[in-house]
Amino acid sequence: MSDFKALSEAVNKGDTKTALVEAQKALDAGSSAEEILNKGLITAMNEVGDKFSKGLLFVPQMLRSAKTMQECTKLLQPFFQEGDVLSKGKVLIGTVKGDLHDIGKNLVSMMLEGAGFTITDMGVDVSPEKFVEKTREVKPDIIALSALLSTTMPAMAQTIEALQKAGLRDKAKVMIGGAPVTEKYAQQINADSYASDAGSAVNKAKALLGIS
Amino acid sequence: MVANAKNIQPPTHKGNKQARKPRPQKERRPRRIWLHVYPKDIWVPAEYGETLWAALYKADMELDSDCGGIGNCGKCKIKILSVVGPPTSAEKGLLDKVELEQGIRLACRTKAKRDLAISTEKTDTELDYLKILTTSHVLRSRYIPISQLEPLIERRPVTLPTESQNGKISDLNWVRMGLGAEYSDLQASIHCLRTLPQMLKKTKFSGVAVLHNNSLIAWQEPEKSKHGYGLVFDLGTSTIVGKLINLSNGSEAAVDSCLNRQRWHGSDVISRLNYVKQNPRGLDFLHNLLVNDLNNITKHLLKTAGLKKEDILIAVAAGNTTMQHFLLNLPPHGIAEAPFIPAVTDGLIVNAADVGLELNLSALLYTMPTKSGYIGGDLISFVLNSGIAEQKDEVILGLDLGTNVEIFLGNGKRLLTCSAAAGPALEGARISSGMIAKAGALEGVRIEEGQLHYRVIGNIKPKGICGSGLVDLVAVLLHCGVIDPEGLIRPTQKAEYQDLNSRVIKRSYCYDFLIASEEEGFYGRPIYLTQKDVRELQLAKGAVAAGVHTLMDELGIGFEDISHVYLAGALGNYIDPISTLRIGLLPGINVKLIKSLGNTASLGASMVLLSKKYWQMAKDVVNFMEHVELSYRHDFNQYFVQHMDFPEENIW
Repeated sequence: MSDFKALSEAVNKGDTKTALVEAQKALDAGSSAEEILNKGLITAMNEVGDKFSKGLLFVPQMLRSAKTMQECTKLLQPFFQEGDVLSKGKVLIGTVKGDLHDIGKNLVSMMLEGAGFTITDMGVDVSPEKFVEKTREVKPDIIALSALLSTTMPAMAQTIEALQKAGLRDKAKVMIGGAPVTEKYAQQINADSYASDAGSAVNKAKALLGIS
Repeated sequence: MVANAKNIQPPTHKGNKQARKPRPQKERRPRRIWLHVYPKDIWVPAEYGETLWAALYKADMELDSDCGGIGNCGKCKIKILSVVGPPTSAEKGLLDKVELEQGIRLACRTKAKRDLAISTEKTDTELDYLKILTTSHVLRSRYIPISQLEPLIERRPVTLPTESQNGKISDLNWVRMGLGAEYSDLQASIHCLRTLPQMLKKTKFSGVAVLHNNSLIAWQEPEKSKHGYGLVFDLGTSTIVGKLINLSNGSEAAVDSCLNRQRWHGSDVISRLNYVKQNPRGLDFLHNLLVNDLNNITKHLLKTAGLKKEDILIAVAAGNTTMQHFLLNLPPHGIAEAPFIPAVTDGLIVNAADVGLELNLSALLYTMPTKSGYIGGDLISFVLNSGIAEQKDEVILGLDLGTNVEIFLGNGKRLLTCSAAAGPALEGARISSGMIAKAGALEGVRIEEGQLHYRVIGNIKPKGICGSGLVDLVAVLLHCGVIDPEGLIRPTQKAEYQDLNSRVIKRSYCYDFLIASEEEGFYGRPIYLTQKDVRELQLAKGAVAAGVHTLMDELGIGFEDISHVYLAGALGNYIDPISTLRIGLLPGINVKLIKSLGNTASLGASMVLLSKKYWQMAKDVVNFMEHVELSYRHDFNQYFVQHMDFPEENIW
């Protein structure tokens, strides 16, 4: 069976054109959509995330790869079959109240999506109440909170408290991240996990749900 | 300064801890710990269990810090010369193996439990080398001729007939009559009235009436009054500048500056806002630190000019919105998070004594109007300097570079402004070997015949790199092919720069650039430009370029439409314009159009001090200017990502 090397390379480079051609080729050669997704695209995105964590590539390159991945997934969409395991889990993500920073959170969203998670992105300046409401509605496996200011970090704690009060805290894992956030802070506010960047967020999310 | 500093006790970060139970008698601990601090060779007392940071702070010793002593930034390095204990987990994370082995620790994480000898690796002379920008470059159009000076206070020589002593008319009424009919409803400050009878007698009814709007604020002896003087303050987040201005001719009579002592509680505005949020007395404390700095500067200025504090009746201060809140002791909490609402944006006129400034008790303090939480009085000063609002032909772009980069674009037809969060990289923070522009900071880089040449402040071996040095270094490395357009450090392919490859070193997964080897560096430790440092700069310059692009789109213009680019502040002054273009900090502009205006905050404050016209203009500018909030805009985010890459083209 194919090892999707060319496809993987195209996703790594963020070369959408080549990636689409390669994905189509793989379909024509008889690979299943699920196989292309898991062994081709997701594996490639894992490599991209890893390189990002190591500093070998940066935001524009990672976004390019994530977009390539999205386009390829669109191409595969009609070919998925019933019973295909398409989602690794549901993630509810947002930047906390008082904080308008978008990009870091979007990177995490894209990387998680690229790794096979289903994402509900609530945007920025999301109040604890809105997180609670949406958690009830979406029933996510993971709630991911972002804050880029040391002044808005306390809103993460407030959100976790609100989930606790609403009786939802044990229904989902909470992971947090953002420039001023630390592992220690995550422990302090009783979050389940901390991710230092978009690349490691994928690994942390998988670890939280016990998948590889 | 030392004496004053000791009077201020910082509230602790964690608030009041409950008093501990007294320990059993046998665990006798020494009451006081002594720290022998090299190279100053002085002894500093410390309480048992107190951090070295706190002890050194009380002794007024200089330590680097971005985080304000909470163990996050790793900058407050000291060397333990005596027996060193195991590092804390924070130290293990922030210091490298070599440093830990050499006995380097973080002052804020090290507790004094026994007498210690430590080295701060600093010398007394360092402060002399500190680069604080005080000079302003006045554009020709901004120069106010003496004939057009109209200072905020008016000094009018008056000779009153002495017959007022017949007891029929009050002293104030006598002054009113002496000034003429238009002053029939003249008001007077209480302090002025308290001294008026005595001063009239002392001056034999021939003196100088000092007027502010319609109020008499002082009666002075005529020989004192040949020149009136006023003060202007630039309330910078990291440095404070004060100038004594001659009100009769507009000249600078004395200049003084210092590091903003508030930096102990964070190097940027956000960390200080956070400090205020977490400490009930935090605001009072930061306010006092600032006022203390201003009073010290004032003392030096007055001493230089041979004046007394009673001689100063007017001061104008300009700073970012948060600093102006700190000066006025106004709660700045709203600025900390969206929607970033300050307590006040108006330009205020208050009694200087109410704020704590040690001037004449009748002295007035003007604070510049601000536009919003992140468009402050310093930017309004900059706008006044640029003359942008007074003409409609040329489009002017202005940038005040720092942790927050304020940008304005336009002219008298339409004027836009925005504030882009560039992060602290441009000020040398969050850069592995980053430092502020003081002795030992690498501030400029050139390449000649394949070899790098550095310019270091104070002409000593480099200790680290400051903002202008970082921009220069990255520009040069892009030129030499050591950094690729995506920001990756790797060995260059270019034959003429092969020598540099010995400095391109793989330390972990990626390459770092060796700025100075163990032998070349001041501390006997190597200094690197790490891959992560380059990433930080990419974020900073991406944000600035994106801010400029967003404003250009909003105004509907391209680069070719921009007639002048003005830079404000220290970084704008020392940064090499060609390097800014090479890294794409300023995109695609003719380098000849770029001009630094120097310390624009103090210059704008001087303009207001010297001319009521400019005080009015400052208020008008605030109303006229449109604020573009970048946080809400998707086009900004798109530009931001797009401009994180470096330009491909090599402009050298």
